[in-house]
Amino acid sequence: MILLQVLVGGLLLGAVYALFASGLTLIWGMMNFINFAHGEFVMLGMYVALVITWMHAGPEAFGPAATVALFLLGVLVYMSLIRHVLRGPMLSQILSTFGLALLLRYSAFAIFKSDFRTLPDSWLSGTIDLGGIYVGKPQLVAGVIAGLLALGMHLLLTRTALGSRLLAVAEDRNAAMLMGIRPDRMQALAWGLSAASAGIAGALLANVYPFSPEVGQTFALTAFVVVALGGFGSVPGAVIAGIAIGVVEALAAYRLGPIYKDIVVYGLFVAVLWVRPQGLLGKL
Amino acid sequence: MTARWGPIALWAALLIYPLAVEATDSAAFLQDVGASLILAAIGASAWNIVGGYAGQVSVGHAIFFGAGAYVPLMVYTLWQVPPLLGLPLGILVAVLIAVGIGMPSFRLQGHYFSMATIAVAELVRLVVGNWDLLGAAIGIQGPATARGWWDLIFRSSVPYYYIFLAVLALTLALTYAMERSRFGYYLRAIRAGERAARSLGVPVRTTKLKALMLSAGLTAAAGSLYAFKVGFVNPESGLGILVSVQMIIIAALGGAGTLYGPLIGAIILIPLQSATNTWFGGGGSGLTYILYGGIIVILARFEPGGLLELWRRLATRATHAA
Amino acid sequence: MLLETQDVSKAFGGFVALAEVTLAVEANEIVGLIGPNGAGKSTFFNCIAGDLAPSGGRIRFDGIDVTHEPPEARARLGIGRTFQVPATFEDMSILENVMVGAFLRHPQARDARAKAIEVLRLTGLEAQASQPARSLGTPGRKRLEIARVLATEPRLLLLDEALAGLTPVEIQSAIALVRKIHALGITIVIVEHIMEVILTLAARVLVFNQGRTIAQGRPADVVSDPKVIEAYLGHRHGGRRRRRT
Repeated sequence: MILLQVLVGGLLLGAVYALFASGLTLIWGMMNFINFAHGEFVMLGMYVALVITWMHAGPEAFGPAATVALFLLGVLVYMSLIRHVLRGPMLSQILSTFGLALLLRYSAFAIFKSDFRTLPDSWLSGTIDLGGIYVGKPQLVAGVIAGLLALGMHLLLTRTALGSRLLAVAEDRNAAMLMGIRPDRMQALAWGLSAASAGIAGALLANVYPFSPEVGQTFALTAFVVVALGGFGSVPGAVIAGIAIGVVEALAAYRLGPIYKDIVVYGLFVAVLWVRPQGLLGKL
Repeated sequence: MTARWGPIALWAALLIYPLAVEATDSAAFLQDVGASLILAAIGASAWNIVGGYAGQVSVGHAIFFGAGAYVPLMVYTLWQVPPLLGLPLGILVAVLIAVGIGMPSFRLQGHYFSMATIAVAELVRLVVGNWDLLGAAIGIQGPATARGWWDLIFRSSVPYYYIFLAVLALTLALTYAMERSRFGYYLRAIRAGERAARSLGVPVRTTKLKALMLSAGLTAAAGSLYAFKVGFVNPESGLGILVSVQMIIIAALGGAGTLYGPLIGAIILIPLQSATNTWFGGGGSGLTYILYGGIIVILARFEPGGLLELWRRLATRATHAA
Repeated sequence: MLLETQDVSKAFGGFVALAEVTLAVEANEIVGLIGPNGAGKSTFFNCIAGDLAPSGGRIRFDGIDVTHEPPEARARLGIGRTFQVPATFEDMSILENVMVGAFLRHPQARDARAKAIEVLRLTGLEAQASQPARSLGTPGRKRLEIARVLATEPRLLLLDEALAGLTPVEIQSAIALVRKIHALGITIVIVEHIMEVILTLAARVLVFNQGRTIAQGRPADVVSDPKVIEAYLGHRHGGRRRRRT
């Protein structure tokens, strides 16, 4: 029974991982670019939720607020920074988001201090009894919404005109330009979507865990593991891998203790690198 | 003109610095900053080999620094031998880790390597932080008092300064020789264009691996020197992300891929860091890292070649205008 | 026979870029590969050079099976190539670029430098030796690429549209250089769109269309082959999306 509970918890958490990892892999697949600040975007989503509570609004506002705020941030980051370094050497590409991560993380420390925060109780607090399995309401809501959004992103990319424009730019920039698509605009949009996916994930998680600015680093690494396992550029891969990692982490926490869950996840990353670097669904 | 006299003047200044500040009121403090500066320059110069010259950006170099810091102190803790004896062992551990990271990730695109370095660094930091044998979160210490000169415990920073300076000179001499050799040209070719390099017969994967191993060994040496001077290491000071960040920013600020870039970066940043720490007290470290983050972003966006590149461009423009 | 390909095929997922291409190149020949856009010439080229692994077939160089050898190994055996979009080392000087090539056969820096200078002299770039590669225009970069690969002392040189985008004067100069290289005993396989170049340089021409070779022979014969004419005319209205190889 406990095991089942652990598994359900892991699945729900995994869905959230799937959501923000999809954002990361979208950018990677589209521009061959790893956003080292992606974890910080998740962290910022959590703090958006905090600020919303300061304004005495309820959890229903978290998602929309985080979406808007992080979408804008993503576009801003692309326009002011990424667009320029894409044309430059690899060093400046990697340094750009690495430096951004530091900037965001320590600015958050300066503004919000390093204390761990929990959000005040609301209609979203408490547990639900699903046939003997106790699931926290925040976890359930987070997992379900995240799962739907991740699925939604996949559908957006594969079933809509906008999605095919995004994918066209990913596949062949020049050809896309010839077809009248503006790569710059599409890439800015992708950054907005990617940041928004991270922001929403953060806002959803804000109800579940206590948080502080330092959690960005852990989320970043989790995102890397999921993306590596799921395969370069593959959103479906990120979804499957995200859920898998969520379950693995939950099991590790249950069997080995919370300290070891991160060790297991990072160790898994190293194993993936050695054994199957292309991940489950990706190509090298 | 500057090309020949610059380095000579620089080394002369570095040689007399501790003696020159001896007469001042804050001599001990200034000499300590000097030692930290030189040490930072060693680490950054080591990173520079794989991150600057070869263009393989490691964001987890703390792993090698930490190996170099922990192993000698472990050797002392277990067997009471002078930590100095652990130095070669620390280098060996670092080189083995380098092979472990490099072999799988150098088959893949550059980003995998960067992600792998940070993942392994974090992994090891967590493992060490929870392993009682290695001191867990508290860390481990070296000898409290010197049993002989070989314990390398000095009350003044000055002996450390000169030991570090010697190691820096060795590191730069190695880098200089490498620059002029086939290995150096191959590294730069890999950074400039891997596909083209391959087509010219450059063994890309093994060259990258060798660069990483060399860099790891030198970084471990820097870690050991740190352990000898401070006499203590814990997961944060040995393996924390800020250790990696400092190496990167110092090298990048001065000029990644140049011989003196890291040293220039250290000369600018370490006194600056010291000053902000003094002015803002404990809370200053947060501001320092906001500053670091900002500098890295600005460098990446506007001048990836660092200050030396900026200097070169301004100098060429000046000679053309003249 | 210096280079031999047998039934080389390459498929990207469902898309067949190359199907059973067989070619034999004798030492010291100049062979041209022509065909409409997207016909598979560059894909075939990349298979010989080692940038792509063929899905089927064999490639033999000087009797050695190199089908799955990486580009570095092929360079060591004596296969050299240039790139369609010049991939010079921008931040390095012209001399340093060529030295990278020279280091393959001359591990000592002094010897590599001497070899590089010799090659720069041959290709007319000696005067600009200390300038950065990025100061060159496209024709200069193409010439530098050729110099760089020459320094590796190849026996087979693969030129990938080395003359595209050059002015008529530059083309003449490039043709002269290719002839000079050929006179050194180097075998050349050249992919080219510019007909006059192929007709002037190549003794033998191979025509690609939709991943297959549809004609082979002397340039004059091939050009008047009705199948070849149809391939070029037919493709003017082609709507097939070009796959990046």
